[in-house]
Formats: sequence, C-alpha cells, structure tokens
Amino acid sequence: MHTQLFHIFRNTPLGRETLLQSIYFCKKAVSSLIIYIPEFTKFLMYFENDVVQIDLDNSYLTSPETALKHAKELFDQGKIKASFLEPKNFTASTLPDISTNFDFMCCPRSISDLSSKIGLGYIGPRVRRIVNSARFPVLITSPVFKKWRSIAVFFGGSANAVNALKLGFRISKASKIPLNVFTHAENTSKESYEEMIKNENLTEEMDRYVTEWHMFESGKFEENLYDVPHDALVVLGAYGHSLIRSILFGGKMEKIQSIITNNLLIAGPNYALTR
Amino acid sequence: MRILRRWRHPASWSIFRLDDRLLLILIAVIVGTCSGLAAVVLNRSLIAMFEWLHHFRHYWWSFIIPAIGAALSALFLDKIVKEGAGHGVPEVIYSVSRYGGLMRFRSSFSRLISSCLTIGSGGSAGPEAPVVMSGAAIGSNIAKFFSLNDRQRVTIVGCGAAGAISSIFNAPIAGMVFSMEVILGEWKAENIVSIAIASVAGTEISRILQGNQIAFSHRLFHVGHLDIVACIGLAIIAAAASILLTRLLRSMHGVSKKAPFPIWVRAAAGGCAVGIIGIFLPIVLGEGYHPLRTMIEGAYAQGIGIVTVAIFAKILATSFTLGWGGSGGIFAPCLVIGSLAGLTYHRGLILLWPSVSWVNEGCFALLGMAGLISGMLQAPLTGIFLIVEITGSYEVILPLIIVSIISTTLCHYIEPASFYLKELVEKGQLLRQGTDGSVLSDLSVQELLEKDCITVKQNMLLRNFIDIIKQSHRNYFPVEDEKTGHFLGIIHLDDIRPYLFNPLMYDAVVLGQIMDTNVEVVYLDDDLSEVLRKMDANRVFSMPVIADKKFIGMISKATLLDKYRKELMVQTDL
Repeated sequence: MHTQLFHIFRNTPLGRETLLQSIYFCKKAVSSLIIYIPEFTKFLMYFENDVVQIDLDNSYLTSPETALKHAKELFDQGKIKASFLEPKNFTASTLPDISTNFDFMCCPRSISDLSSKIGLGYIGPRVRRIVNSARFPVLITSPVFKKWRSIAVFFGGSANAVNALKLGFRISKASKIPLNVFTHAENTSKESYEEMIKNENLTEEMDRYVTEWHMFESGKFEENLYDVPHDALVVLGAYGHSLIRSILFGGKMEKIQSIITNNLLIAGPNYALTR
Repeated sequence: MRILRRWRHPASWSIFRLDDRLLLILIAVIVGTCSGLAAVVLNRSLIAMFEWLHHFRHYWWSFIIPAIGAALSALFLDKIVKEGAGHGVPEVIYSVSRYGGLMRFRSSFSRLISSCLTIGSGGSAGPEAPVVMSGAAIGSNIAKFFSLNDRQRVTIVGCGAAGAISSIFNAPIAGMVFSMEVILGEWKAENIVSIAIASVAGTEISRILQGNQIAFSHRLFHVGHLDIVACIGLAIIAAAASILLTRLLRSMHGVSKKAPFPIWVRAAAGGCAVGIIGIFLPIVLGEGYHPLRTMIEGAYAQGIGIVTVAIFAKILATSFTLGWGGSGGIFAPCLVIGSLAGLTYHRGLILLWPSVSWVNEGCFALLGMAGLISGMLQAPLTGIFLIVEITGSYEVILPLIIVSIISTTLCHYIEPASFYLKELVEKGQLLRQGTDGSVLSDLSVQELLEKDCITVKQNMLLRNFIDIIKQSHRNYFPVEDEKTGHFLGIIHLDDIRPYLFNPLMYDAVVLGQIMDTNVEVVYLDDDLSEVLRKMDANRVFSMPVIADKKFIGMISKATLLDKYRKELMVQTDL
C-alpha cells in the first residue's frame, strides 16, 4: 500500500536531524516523503472538524536560498525520492492551506515555539492539536537522529491503544522490524488483556508480529519505562480518555513523553485505520 | 465516569439529537446572540475611541493619529494573532466554499480589535465586515463544539454573519439577505429558518443594549415620476464609483505588497495619507456615520464642488486605509461615497433643470447608498433591504430597486465578480456548496483508488497472461518493469483480442510488445476536475494512478460518480 509522510523542513541542524528521522522512517515503513519548505511562518491545516493554524518558529525560514539544496542532499544521501509540496490554495495571501491527506506527519516536539524550548516533557500546543485532530499518526522525533531497531507499542486496553497496536503491526509488517508490546497492568490481570486482544480479533497478528509482551504487574509505571529499548520506535495512542480524567490523573502519553527520549509515533483519537 | 466522558462530545447528547433542525434553531439563537454582542461591543468601543481621540483632532499633528491606529492594528494582526490584514469577508466566503465553514477561533475576536484601532483612530473603513467575520467565526466554532456536519456548519456560519449585520445596523432583514446573498450564495428553506432566528437574536441584543433606534432617521420623501426616471443616471454614477473604488482598492493593495517595508510601516503610511486628506476634508475620517445622517436629512451644507471632491477623497482614503494594511470593511465607506454621489447628482440636476420640482436631496443620498452597496457587493437585495431598514424609508422602494438593479447589472458587466469574490474567482477558489467544483474539490484521488488490479511484467508470455485474465474481472492490466517495479504501460483486453484466437501466438508474444505505453496517468495530488478533463479528452473510463513511478491503482468514472453522489448528498442535505 502506498503511503505518504508529510515533513516540514527546517533549514537548521535541528531540522536536518528531523529530516533524517523522516527519511529513515520512510525507508523502513516503505512510505514516500512529501517535503514542505515554508515560505511563510504560518499555514493552515483543515481537518475533519477543526482548523489548526500552524505558526512556525522563525527558524523554519532560515536561509531559504539553501533550503532546497540541503533537503535534496539529505534525501539523496538517504537514497530516497521525495517530492516537494507547493501549496495550491490560500486562505489569505500569506496563509497557505496545507493538505491533511497524508498517512503520517513528522513533527519535532514543537513547531511554533523557539527550538530552545524543545526538551523532554514538552510537546508544543500546535503539535498537540495536530495529534488531536489528525486522521494520521504523528511521528514526534527525538532531537538527534537515531536508527530504531525495534518497535515498542504501549497497550493499555483502551480503544486508542488498540489503534496504536494495529499501527504497530502495520509498521512492523512493512519494516520487518520486531515488535514488543508493553502493558502496565492497572488492577487488571494478563488474562483480561488477552481477552481484549481476542475480542478485537488481533490474536493472529499478536502471534505473527509480537516478539515479546512485557506485562508490568508491579512497580511504578515511570520506573518500568526503563525497560523500553533505547533504540525502539515507541508507538502509542493519545487523548483517548475523557477530559476530566486527563485533567485529574494525566494521560499515559504525558508520562511516556516526559521520561523516554525515543522517537514517538502517536495515534490520536481521530486516527483512521482505514487509511 | 461515563457521564463525564460524554461531556467531551455534547453533540452526542440525546437532547440535542432529537431533531437536527431543532438543534440548528437552538444553536442559531446562541450564535445570533453572541455575534450580536460582538457587534455591540465593537460599536461601543468605536464610539468610546472616537470620543477619546476627538480632543486631539484640532492639533496640527493629528494627521498621524490614523497612522498610529493603522500601524497598531497591523502589528496586532501580524504579530499577536498572526492573521492577514483586510476585512475578512472573502476569508469567510472561502471557508464556506472550500472547507464547510471551518474557521479559526482567533478570528472571532481578532478583527474586532484591529478594526477598532483602525477605524477608531480615523481610518476610512467600516465596522461591518469585521463583525461579519467575527460572527461567522463564532458560529463556526460553536458548530465545531457541537460536532455539526459541514452542511450544518455552513448554515451556522451564515447565522453568525446574519446576527452581526442585523445587530450593527438594527436591520434583521438586511442581515438575513446579506448572509444568504453574499456569504452562502444560495437560498434554501433549511437555511432561512436558522438564519432568520439568528437575525432576530442579533437585532434583539442590539435593541436591548443600545435601544431600538433606526440608524439614520429620515424625513418623508415624496418621490415623483421624474425622480424615478432620474434614478437611472444616479445608478450609472453609483456603478462608476463602485468600479473606481474596487479597482483603486486592488491596485493600492498591489502597490503596497511591492513596497519593501514591514506591514505595519505600510499601514502607517496609508494611515498618514488618510490623516492628511482628513485635515482638508474631515468627512473621509472614520466610518462617517455622522455626516451620513446630515446628508440624509438634506442638511449637508457644502457646495457641489466640495461634495464632488469629497467622493474622490473618500474613495482614495478608503483605498489608502484598506489597501495599505489597515483593518475594516467597505460597507460604511460605500454608504458615505454613495450618499455623496447622490448629493452631487441631485445638485447637478438642480443646476441643469432648476425649475423642476425634485425630491429632497436626502432621498438621492439614500438611493446613492443603495447603488454603491449593490454595485460593490453585486448583491441588489442586500442594498435594497439595508437602505429600507436603516432609514425606515419604504416610500422610496421603487427608485431603490431601480438604482440597485441597474448599478448591479452595470458593475457585473464591467467586473464580473463582486469586490468580495473577485480574488477568489481569479484563483478558481470560489466553489459554492453543492456545485460541481465544490463536490470534486472535496474528493481526492486517494479516496477513489481502486486497488484490485492485477499487475503484470513486461516479459510475461501471452499464455501466462491469459491465465491471469481468467482470475480477474477487470479489463485493464498495468505492466510493471521486472527489476524496478516502475509503471511501463497498460494492456486493455482489446489489445490482445487479435492474438486470442491464434494459439500459435501464445508462446511467441510477450506483453512488452503489445502494451500501450502512450498512456495518460494520474498522480495522487492531481485535481479531480483535471482528471475528468483528461478522461474526456482521451475518451477513457479508467486511468492508472502513479506514485514514485510505480502503479498504485486505477481511478474510474464509475467510482467517481458513486463518491460524487455521496458527497453531493453530504453537501446539500442538512
């Protein structure tokens, strides 16, 4: 199946690392790369029931005369073909509309705030809104390019976690990279999780793709995260719980993103598996 | 917890899902009230700002006040809310036409603040378009909260615009008509109910908070037959003024864009020019409602020469304000220019035929207003109803209709698209809901991909290919390169018909010899209107879709028609 990853190129060393991550992801997930070199610091993304204005950090417009050359150098090195996206529609003369008809999108942890803010535990508001609204999963990259040699899916039993698990299967199938499942049992037995898998008709895929299912029945969730391989692509669902529960107890995604430095592939509540 | 979870999706509450029309009516009340409030807030803010700055107007340096206001307005839009300048109505129409009325939350307040700074400081613009954008954005975001579908959201955006216009002019019918004629561009019973309710809500809010006053009180006009005939000339003058204003605004915008300065410097330069014009002709400053009242009452003292100069000065000042980066709308300037044109024409008639008993010049001021609004917006009903409602002058309805219709027709003849739509039409971005362009733009090649095609290699023997045909129910077989997987061409069943009944050829022909390599292909980012054009030009019903030089599926007219119908139903059914 032909898939596309959308990448906004930032002509800086940090942007280079992010593009290297995207190129690596495309090679592994057999996806083609669509690169947007912004001409303006803002653009709009129209989703199903939301419109998100992305106000890019000014560093995205650094040295526009060399941006194309630098991007081409990187994907030539990576031996991958990429196409450049030229916005066709404009809401205002300096406000292009960018299609949301992609299968993946790559974002650093923040695209609107200064890059100096990017760090563990911080995901910018625009990136969060994209995750929340998009029908595609968002690849949130670590600051430095690192190849991933396994896939780690966090499965907690929610509908979003099931989506994340299916997404993990999809990446594992395309990349032939082993997949591990991590579950932090919260007053639920392993049998119950297995029952959930059975109810979702995922038993066959579990047997085929999953190398190991790590079930943490004791210890703090934060401490157990140490067992996640440092070179794994972490796949997880986000914003699957109610607003009240998220405010009171916080989401698992927040804990994971504030502790581990791996690349994250996040499936939001609107992620459509049919794509 | 289940109850709390449902709080995230209020649209799913059973109370709201009993009947979609009732839900729309309820939301229309909320949206009309909110947009009405936004209009009142802007109106009161403008009055307060005007009164506060009035004390500084007699100083020699007062010409920089509009410059400061415009610069602050541009800075606010560019640096704080990060939006473009301008009045915003094309943005509303664009969002309705392309994205089911999706608008940013920030648009619900950004133009209120920026236009308050521009107009309050003396910039030549009106508050109506900013409140339209505000109301529409409020509607869009409330619709989003209730998870309404595209069609319903568009109606609610129309409600927001109607509520805003109704409130700012205390004119519910004009609000309704403007929303249907200009914003939605369609007249449907389903829309009318909600929009009418929003108009009533917006008007009522304005009446509660500001009193039930007609914007421009009038005297009774006795319109004679000669006056009605004379209206034709006024319509021509109004159309000419509309065209001049439209073109000057656009050319100013073009010149301003080329200037190598930040937007706030450009806005300040435009504001400064307005301030300088304002020293000699104060009528050009601000929204101009005060001199309008005087003109309608027939008490405007200036002579025909000054009035004529004032027309051009107001057109120039409006172009400097809006074309150079200020924020505001063209409604109020149109009313002022139109009434000045009416006055000039009336005084010209008196000069030419002093013995004829013409109607009071205030009547011609009203007619000029209608002519300008109708000409600029190419929306005659909006012009007619607005003037009738804001002046309470029903007795001038016949000449109003004549002026509005002639002005609209002339303007349409010279400029086929109205001021609001011109840029959208030029870029091919005006796609009204339910039209062919709109339906096609909402579909993508990816959605229509048919992936059940069997691909074959160029070195395959005909004998093996015949086995494949038995398994397939398709007539097209894409041919790929054995090594690279690149798409090479396509084989249609008709291509092998000459060989089918000659078994000697089965082991002699390879597919590379008989495939059609001269095939028009489709790419994932192609527009469907272009794809259809290619299909018609080549008289084919299916085309291969290519990505990275590889075949990824077929696109066919049959699937397109199927999806087209579904999309059309989504766009046209509430």
